[in-house]
Amino acid sequence: MKILTRLEIFPNTYHLEDQKVQEENLKIWFKKYMDISLEHIWEIKTFLIETSRTIDSFSIYAQEVFTDSVMETLVSSNDVEQKKVYEWLKLRGFKNPQVIDIGFRPGVTDNSAHAALEALKLIPALRSEEIKVSSGMMFLVEGDSLTSEHLIKMANEKLANNLLHKVSIVPLTARMADLKFPSVDIQAAPSKMIDLQVDHNTLMKMNHDNCWALSADELAHIKRHYEDIERNPTDVEMEIIAQSWSEHCKHKIFSSEITYSEAENLPEGVKRLGDLNIQGIFKSYIKAATKRIQEERNLPWLISVFHDNAGIVRFDDKVDVCIKVETHNSPSALDPYGGSLTGILGVNRDIYGVGLGARPIANTNVFCLAENDYFKENQIDLPLLLKNPDRIKEGVHLGVQDGGNKSGIPTVNGAFVFDRDYVGKPLVYCGTIGVMPQRENEAPTCDKGQRPGDLIVMAGGRIGKDGIHGATFSSMELVDGVPSSVVQIGDPITQKRLGDFLIEARKRALFNSVTDNGAGGVSSSIGEMAQKTNGAVVHLDQALVKYPGLSPYELMVSESQERMTFSVEKEKKDAFMKLAEERGVEASVVGEFTDSGFLHVRYNNEVVANLSMHFLHESLIPMKLAANFDPTKASAHWIKKSVSKFKLPETHYEEVLFTLLRSPNVRSHEHLVRRYDHEVKGATIVKPYTGTAEAGFSAPSDAGVVWMKPHGGNADNALAISCGINPKISAYDSYAMAVYAVDEAVRNAVCTGADPDEMVLVDNYCWPDPIPSAKNPDAELKLSHLVRSSAALYDISVDYGMPFVSGKDSMKNDFIGKTKSDETVKISVPPTLLVTAMGRVPSLQCVTTSEVKKAGDKLYLIGSDLRNFRSAFEVELQFDYQVSYPLPALDTKKQLSLYRIIHQAMKEKLINSAHDISDGGLLVALAEKLMGTQFGCKLTAQDLSAEERFAFYFNEGPGRMIVSVPAEASLKFENLFAGHDLRNLGEVTETGTIISEDFAISGSECLKNYKYLAGKSV
Amino acid sequence: MKKIVNVLVLTGDGINCEEETALAFKEEGAVSKIVHIADLIAHPEQLHEAQILALPGGFSFGDELGSGQVLALKLRHALGAELKKFVDSGKLVIGICNGFQALVRLGLLPKPFQERTMSLTHNRQGHFLDKWVSLEVPPSACLWTKALQEKTIQLPIRHGEGKIVFAGDEASQQLIYETLQFNGQIALRYREDVNGSYGRIAGICDQEGRIFGLMPHPEAATSNWLLPSGAQKNDGKGLAALIFKSGIDYCEKHL
Repeated sequence: MKILTRLEIFPNTYHLEDQKVQEENLKIWFKKYMDISLEHIWEIKTFLIETSRTIDSFSIYAQEVFTDSVMETLVSSNDVEQKKVYEWLKLRGFKNPQVIDIGFRPGVTDNSAHAALEALKLIPALRSEEIKVSSGMMFLVEGDSLTSEHLIKMANEKLANNLLHKVSIVPLTARMADLKFPSVDIQAAPSKMIDLQVDHNTLMKMNHDNCWALSADELAHIKRHYEDIERNPTDVEMEIIAQSWSEHCKHKIFSSEITYSEAENLPEGVKRLGDLNIQGIFKSYIKAATKRIQEERNLPWLISVFHDNAGIVRFDDKVDVCIKVETHNSPSALDPYGGSLTGILGVNRDIYGVGLGARPIANTNVFCLAENDYFKENQIDLPLLLKNPDRIKEGVHLGVQDGGNKSGIPTVNGAFVFDRDYVGKPLVYCGTIGVMPQRENEAPTCDKGQRPGDLIVMAGGRIGKDGIHGATFSSMELVDGVPSSVVQIGDPITQKRLGDFLIEARKRALFNSVTDNGAGGVSSSIGEMAQKTNGAVVHLDQALVKYPGLSPYELMVSESQERMTFSVEKEKKDAFMKLAEERGVEASVVGEFTDSGFLHVRYNNEVVANLSMHFLHESLIPMKLAANFDPTKASAHWIKKSVSKFKLPETHYEEVLFTLLRSPNVRSHEHLVRRYDHEVKGATIVKPYTGTAEAGFSAPSDAGVVWMKPHGGNADNALAISCGINPKISAYDSYAMAVYAVDEAVRNAVCTGADPDEMVLVDNYCWPDPIPSAKNPDAELKLSHLVRSSAALYDISVDYGMPFVSGKDSMKNDFIGKTKSDETVKISVPPTLLVTAMGRVPSLQCVTTSEVKKAGDKLYLIGSDLRNFRSAFEVELQFDYQVSYPLPALDTKKQLSLYRIIHQAMKEKLINSAHDISDGGLLVALAEKLMGTQFGCKLTAQDLSAEERFAFYFNEGPGRMIVSVPAEASLKFENLFAGHDLRNLGEVTETGTIISEDFAISGSECLKNYKYLAGKSV
Repeated sequence: MKKIVNVLVLTGDGINCEEETALAFKEEGAVSKIVHIADLIAHPEQLHEAQILALPGGFSFGDELGSGQVLALKLRHALGAELKKFVDSGKLVIGICNGFQALVRLGLLPKPFQERTMSLTHNRQGHFLDKWVSLEVPPSACLWTKALQEKTIQLPIRHGEGKIVFAGDEASQQLIYETLQFNGQIALRYREDVNGSYGRIAGICDQEGRIFGLMPHPEAATSNWLLPSGAQKNDGKGLAALIFKSGIDYCEKHL
């Protein structure tokens, strides 16, 4: 007999009337987005406890576990007296409260419940009790004429996610009645054979129904293979193949053969590549660039590139450093919070899984998003089914916040990029930097060493239905009792324990190889590791599960989070398992590596898969694709109506500047960034914001600088981590877009003191689908952008001598849906390339921040003044202004020598501050340098005509920064830059105002505009 | 010859700041040992080899059920008697951020092993905040802040639940506050209201001044390179290092 108890945690008498900010924010939200006025809202945390018998004094234990005795009190379904709640509601001003009750669906990761269960088990009297816990939220609300439809809509739009939560609208008096624990009740289906000897249409239907997402060619290839071995595949084999060959795991587009051509007439300045035959973009451009740089520069510090979970470099005498950046776009579109949380935890696991395991020391994150206001102001209806973009923003932000903060990893760098075309698919980039000893236990830490005969041990989270066929969610209905398989919530505490355990086990040499279980689950993690030994035997029934009833194929491909797979020598098994138990980490031996040439999978001793490793990993023939660069062939934009823009106030530069400072891509996101811990570990030297205490440390930094000393590295050594991203340029020239992105990342790092000769790059592509189909008529153009930006990456990285050490691509960032008027629209993201740079700051004495430091210093523009261009991209987004060709280009070889000189000047202490010029142009950058301090400047532009001045103030282009130089050092400084573009901008003053012939702009006004969202919840 | 001061820095279950906390003590001459809570429970005698117990910052148990709540439960049920022995023998305890929250929920602050009179709850802003703040160090019984009293210091706060509240109605809260004030237990105060904390309190100590809990992070401010403003960055030692030094100095003299 099961006993169910519902617990509600209320504030006690002394705190009954405390209003939480969140509750006020919810009222504002419902008013703003749903036009619902709430008089009262009260959020109460709830728990549902299932025990196998009535436990004496349970309420006392519950009080101790669930409440804070100073502030809270417990209401339980066992309480005879329930009236007190009505009294409390009266005190809160409620007259007629309605209840929105939210609980988790069965099988969804419930972190509160996990902690609660662990806490209950700490009470000696409860240790041996059978207990289950589920957590929830109750919202008590009151407003004018609220129907239960309103309440459900409120829950679905804001309070809950239908994929994860079950929402009940119940009368207040009934909330304690008919309690039901969200138990998973499913049956495992036995493994079965799949008959491939069917006609084409049946085969394609099976492909669709089973979510294999294989192409017709691939299916034919599989069919031939099974004809050769004279049997049919099992369902488990088909799932393994489908997953191993998915675009996500196999990167088929990046290894395809591409014929590239381009139109006769290209706009002025757009680079011609000519006709090309490309044997794989990855091989020909990314890997080739790194290879060539390695040959030309002979880099002893390049330790491991491309083949492991992250790239490893030696930027310190004592430790090695590794870096990886991932994206988690589709999951974030479905569940913004869970998607970004698992994104950050997932990339952390890549670091834990590099070599023999590295420790994460810093995170980065870049969001590409849309904003609701844009659509509202321009009266553009969003397709049905699309989430409110502001809710996506809130969710992904909270996910990164929880993922980083709870793992104790500082978020040191990132960006927010806005474009209306991210409304269909938000882009969520998560990066992590890790450290590992160069050698440990007399072996290099960067080498994995699994051998045939080693045990396969899986540790961390248990397997559930999470993440099985996530991509095809839309056709699935959610049914009670069936766990939602499409979304995953991360569990930072389980991962933290797993990570801490892993490092301890590595130090004790308890395993000889490790990798993370990310996309593709067991199939991909064991599959990858087994490639090195050339085979494995897996016993799926030995894997730890969240609940019974999982079918063999589900065990194989589930993407349940917080898991890692280890290779453990047999004689070390006991020590490994013992340490795992002591550290609260669940682990089980699930098989053994072999050299049989086969991935051999069993379930309750029945063979459910026996796949040739060669067939699985080496037999697939590259796709053949065509790319054609003809900008005139782009499909029409999904938004048909014209969008209103401000009239350009020509010479009212101040007005333009303030508008830019408030614009999405320029304005401050400090109110969001400060919710990330950016300095846990006590090593963040340059933080996301800088400036003086009086100005609230509000000026933006160029890069995060992480000190190596607290991480076991040299005392006088640091790393700069920065990013560059310019999707707005893609519409003009995808080659230039990539050049700008690399240069921006590099420049940001150089600004903070990194040595351009010790710098590496990471590429992350997020592209609209470049595979042609009826729904995708301009695929060849999209693919041409991929070719062009990759060619640009090759060119600039070779010229800069900066190798790519890691990278990733995400190729299906499109949304197809219906509008209110039943029109089908397709929203594709602009081709978006994030470049992350990691450079060594060889001495802390080189560390430079962006804000000016001293009156009397001279200000210089390094790089072109762009007076002859029309490239004010941010102005174009806000005003009736048109960018025109040619776009500013970059002489990359010359630029590298410029960066070397800048670094030399920093070493010689000739530069007091440096800040890159990016979105918004020179005047924005100058304002950013000054407004975080009490200083101003005298700016001289006398030699420029009125038209040139606008260009000078607002044009954007690569390769530019503003520095401040001590007056006494200015001559020496100027001499260093002979032969390069250098312009004296004027002098730093005490006035707090930027004064020129054209205007006098106060720094505090700039700051006010820049921070106009401060205090807002989104 | 100077006495060796041993510091036991607790880790595990989501504690995050053990490395930098151990380093801060080490730089001031102590021997720091990072010990996993499971190992401490298995071998509690380790506790008594140390003169200082440090509970670092972090997100123990993911802050579920309230920050520090489950860690406090675990310490109470698994190590309660050992902790009492440790504290009763006049040894030192420091709890930083999540460690402070655990000390409070454990009932070690403000008055060890008495009924709880204070708590730490959600900031008035309703969310986590990473920000450098200016603090005054009032004259107090706190031996950890001896070298800093009547000075101001800049430290980062990095918490979502740092607002101090006292038990009972307004009069009772006022009384608790005044008693702490009178006893010299208010060891650290924000110069401006940063999170809604009662009386702008950032850190308190027990009556003897040996147990110190604070929300800001001194271990992240031990070098001037870590200061938030570009102009402040240099090779100098941060003022915050004096907190660790004071604790060690006391042990050298008295324990």
